[in-house]
Amino acid sequence: MPAPEKSNIKLGLFVLAGAFLLILTLYMIGKNENMFGSNFALKARFKNVNGLISGNNIRFSGIQVGTVKGIALIDDTTIEVTMLVATKMKPFIRKNALASIGTEGLMGNKIVNIQPGEGRAPEVAEGDLLANQKATNMDEMLGTLNKTNENIEDFSEGLKIAVRRVNNSTALWSVLNETSLAPNLKASLANISQATAHADAMMNDLRTLIAGVKGGQGSVGALLTDTSFAHSLQEATARIKTVGDKAGGLADELTKMTGDIRRDIDSGTGTVHALLKDSSMVRKLNASLDNVQKGTAAFSEDMEALKHNFLLRGYFRRLEKQQKNAGQSP
Amino acid sequence: MEPVIVIEHLCKRFGPNIVLDDFNLVVRPEENVVVLGKSGVGKSVLIKCIIGLLRPDSGRVSVLGQNVPDLGHDELDRLRAKVGFLFQSNALYDSMTVRKNLEFPLRRHWIEISQDKVDAMVMEALENVGLAHTIDEMPEELSGGMRKRIALARTLILKPEIILYDEPTTGLDPVTGKEISTLIVEIRKKYHTSSIIISHDMHCVKLVSDRIAVLVNGKCHAQGTYEELGSSTDREVKQFFE
Amino acid sequence: MIPSAKFRRFLGEAGELSAFAGRFFSQAPRPRFEWEELARQCYTIGYRSFPLVGLTGFIMGLVLTMQLRPSLVSYGVDSQLPVMVGVAIVREIGPVITALIFAGKIGSSIGAELGSMRVTEQIDAMEVSGTNPFKYLVVTRVVAATLMLPVLVILSDAISLYGAYIGVNIRSVTSFSLFFRQIFDSLSFGDVLPAFIKTFLFGFAVGMVGSHQGYHSSKGTEGVGRSANSSVVISSILIFIIDLVVVQVTDLLGLN
Ligand SMILES: Nc1ncnc2c1ncn2[C@@H]1O[C@H](COP(=O)(O)OP(=O)(O)OP(=O)(O)O)[C@@H](O)[C@H]1O
Ligand SMILES: [Mg+2]
Repeated sequence: MPAPEKSNIKLGLFVLAGAFLLILTLYMIGKNENMFGSNFALKARFKNVNGLISGNNIRFSGIQVGTVKGIALIDDTTIEVTMLVATKMKPFIRKNALASIGTEGLMGNKIVNIQPGEGRAPEVAEGDLLANQKATNMDEMLGTLNKTNENIEDFSEGLKIAVRRVNNSTALWSVLNETSLAPNLKASLANISQATAHADAMMNDLRTLIAGVKGGQGSVGALLTDTSFAHSLQEATARIKTVGDKAGGLADELTKMTGDIRRDIDSGTGTVHALLKDSSMVRKLNASLDNVQKGTAAFSEDMEALKHNFLLRGYFRRLEKQQKNAGQSP
Repeated sequence: MEPVIVIEHLCKRFGPNIVLDDFNLVVRPEENVVVLGKSGVGKSVLIKCIIGLLRPDSGRVSVLGQNVPDLGHDELDRLRAKVGFLFQSNALYDSMTVRKNLEFPLRRHWIEISQDKVDAMVMEALENVGLAHTIDEMPEELSGGMRKRIALARTLILKPEIILYDEPTTGLDPVTGKEISTLIVEIRKKYHTSSIIISHDMHCVKLVSDRIAVLVNGKCHAQGTYEELGSSTDREVKQFFE
Repeated sequence: MIPSAKFRRFLGEAGELSAFAGRFFSQAPRPRFEWEELARQCYTIGYRSFPLVGLTGFIMGLVLTMQLRPSLVSYGVDSQLPVMVGVAIVREIGPVITALIFAGKIGSSIGAELGSMRVTEQIDAMEVSGTNPFKYLVVTRVVAATLMLPVLVILSDAISLYGAYIGVNIRSVTSFSLFFRQIFDSLSFGDVLPAFIKTFLFGFAVGMVGSHQGYHSSKGTEGVGRSANSSVVISSILIFIIDLVVVQVTDLLGLN
């Protein structure tokens, strides 16, 4: 048996090790629950909190800033959520910030997302009530994306047929010989190029977004561990790509065609004159162009919605900032 | 002189098992009384009633003028300091060294002695039994006879006025048994103690006894000196001397 | 309705154990506390059990991780493995398994030690030597068991989590800091505190049952064996019963 002093030293070490680990654990948890350091309270009201409970995390643009302190029913349709947010985050959160309820990962804990609002606003104060934003859920987002793809496919198909017919027929040339028609057509051409530019920008946006997603950037990257989600996103991306390729080819053809027409008009030759009476053809072309524009506008709207989605928001902001920086540096 | 132990009408039963039934015994100062009895007759129960480990159902057990069953916790403790008890099984604390075993009875809160004094007392008690060299050993490292002597040393450490020996020589070889018996006689001479010795080792009984009480059926069946009882014709008494 | 003899014996045991606990609470606060003996008991009961508890804790964390992985992988959430294992260990498996091992090692040794002290009359010898054997032997052991088991559980939890960390790294790669961040992020006070508090109750139960069985051991070496054996059996059952009760109480208090 060891001498009593020696055994007491060992016992002391043993107990202190246990106490140290306990305190460390409690401290780590306390830190996560914002028990240490100063906090201030923010409030937000929701119709439905989707199972949010006190202790859930608060994220500001994706950064952990606090925890939910309390959830109270104000009346039959309003729930007030009180959040404890670290005071050091206060200068960054503006009065126009938007709160929404989201999910950590695909099936993780509920969280409250706070996002900066549009434009300028003063810094938040203790007890401020933040406006809220409807949470976009993943399924809705994917649904919209799919519909958009279908639309693009539809209109590019229509456009292709139209262009082929324009190319193959001499009727159009006669239309173009009609001088009164020229301004009209010019306007149409302007529309077409605007539409293609639109489609181009949109494709770029989407490509970079997808590249970002693939590279695992942003909160979306984290979601990709779920294989089913990744699969549908990939499928969506592939479809967008084929549409994009088609649209690219189409735009080329269009430019070539407009070049031809321009030359024709400039030289004043009236080969297309005979077809002038075939007004149904012109109507068709106009309708096609209309479709293109509508389609791209719809996609833009989708992209805008996507930009506002909480998951991608941070990513787009970063992109914007990079672009700004790139613009400033040279 | 006043007797040191007076037992009157002592009764003790465990459920249906009547162990002591109107037992009477007196021990006078500096007297060694041997209690003889068959195994399981209740000898250990008797001396446990004297030290207050067992509570009698009825009767008086007066030790040094105090009736043991009436005593409160503190009074009983003070009385026990004057009474040594040698257990049949030695009851050495096997998680402690010999030194700690001997110091244990000195832990009483009302005894205040310096560590030097404690060491001296431990040494003296060990020298009395001739085992000073075992002071830092554990009980299990000792032989049966040595353990008995250590137990005896522990009983003696507080220099009690009365010593209760429960079968001090049982389980020892005749030579060691004789050593222990001699020790008992010497202790009486040296410290002027009064004792009750439980034994059925007749060599020991012959050596140490001033008077013998024979316990049969819970009663004190016969009393007398070794010689008196040795010539008795009583069947119950005779069987011990054959 | 006449209860069977077995049931009556069970009731008798429960009553005796409760009376023994009552005696503990009435005697423990009285002065002359055996500090030195308490330290010695803490050393034997706590420190000396550490290697066993640490080893089993390590293996437990490792094995639990390896066993849980396939089912998490089939749901595609194997990145949540540390969280799953961490919560399981901290809330339930750490305290209960450690307490059961503690019951096996300490419950039986208290039962056997006090049993043999009873049989060889050492307890009576203490009594005639002016030391209250209940305070010297029982109170110190019960207090030591009550205080040491929580320490053992904390250390064993830590070692188990380290085992789990190694278990995760066998099939995939995670960093030490990410692993523990994930665990601490998922833990709340509601996970840790009830689990910590119940270890005191487990320790108390083990110390109490072992002491009771040993202190009232029947004569003979057979009695000592029986004391050791029933200490382990009864305290193991009590651990599960206490666990059940604590879960219900924390549920009622809304701590989950
Ligand atoms: N604590 C107890 N509870 C129940 N019965 C007891 C108890 N102590 C002793 N007895 C019973 O009392 C009787 C006498 O026991 P005791 O130990 O006094 O015998 P003994 O005369 O000392 O025998 P031995 O010479 O073998 O030591 C026995 O029948 C025993 O079963
Ligand atoms: Mg006996």
